[in-house]
Amino acid sequence: MASTEIYRYLSVGEQSIPLDPEGYLVNMNEWSIQVCERLAEEEGIALTADHWEIIHVLRDFYARFEQAPAMRPLVKSAGQALGPEKGRSIYLMKLFPGSPAKVGARLAGLPKPANCL
Amino acid sequence: MQDATSPAELMVILRHAPHGSSWLKEGLDVALVAAAFDRRVTLLFMGEGITALLEGQQAGPLGQKGTAPTLAMLEMYDIDNLLVEQRGMDELGLTSDQLMLPVTGVDDAEISRLVASHALVLNF
Amino acid sequence: MLLHTLNRPPTSQVLAQALAGMGSDDKLLLIEDGVIGALPAHRVHFDRVAGRLYALQEDLESRGLLSLCDEAVRVVDVEGFISMTETCERTVSWY
Repeated sequence: MASTEIYRYLSVGEQSIPLDPEGYLVNMNEWSIQVCERLAEEEGIALTADHWEIIHVLRDFYARFEQAPAMRPLVKSAGQALGPEKGRSIYLMKLFPGSPAKVGARLAGLPKPANCL
Repeated sequence: MQDATSPAELMVILRHAPHGSSWLKEGLDVALVAAAFDRRVTLLFMGEGITALLEGQQAGPLGQKGTAPTLAMLEMYDIDNLLVEQRGMDELGLTSDQLMLPVTGVDDAEISRLVASHALVLNF
Repeated sequence: MLLHTLNRPPTSQVLAQALAGMGSDDKLLLIEDGVIGALPAHRVHFDRVAGRLYALQEDLESRGLLSLCDEAVRVVDVEGFISMTETCERTVSWY
């Protein structure tokens, strides 16, 4: 769930972007490509075009349904948007190791997915 | 609709209208969590709960999130067995073309069969 | 065979929902405000579960309804309630 508690700040150029205790944006509107890149750096992820595709899938999902997806619907959305070979959990695990739904949501500037381990 | 229900199947009954209480939201949350963990979920809308399916719903006057986006999302969780109590539809004077999702109407006999055949029935 | 509990009075639409959900050998136990349904005047609402209708003694007593309870309704105390949950496969709550 979205948290309003400011735990620390992410510095992006001149800006300080507040993050909650789990590293999600406190204010979703502050998301930008630069913010996403800095968050990815923290995760040790070098963003590629494949990552951006999934980040857009995540942001589209939120725009439609007002929630970040758990793994199952993320896999399904990726498959619908990008084709069956990308709608697989192994593919997403490679891009966003650990928990693709959670890491992906964080980088995409979404709240933490609610229905997720 | 499946005839043989495996023991892993969950039925969630939604009987409360949107906005008036949090019952509807909580029932939907349970359904989504179960689906996220690969359980097959049947949703049954009964009585006032049917109004959750009406077209044109919005956020509350103070900006509270509505449930319509969540209902639209069910498909992404592969929750596609959506049933409505036919008697409840009649009492509300509604027809299925007024609802935002494709649903199957069920009568009392079918509802009692479903309650008996699902391994877990949660009432909201 | 399932046990259904109902804690709402017979004027509530929840009664119809509970009856809709009941199979032909399921039992219905009235608890809390539901025990108002045990009055003889309400017998008509429970035709479909004749012989399978129970009411919780403690809730009847606390409302002064025990002596008014319809003779067709079987009165069980909390211990009886517990043994019903043991003999029935599952319990479904209607509220």
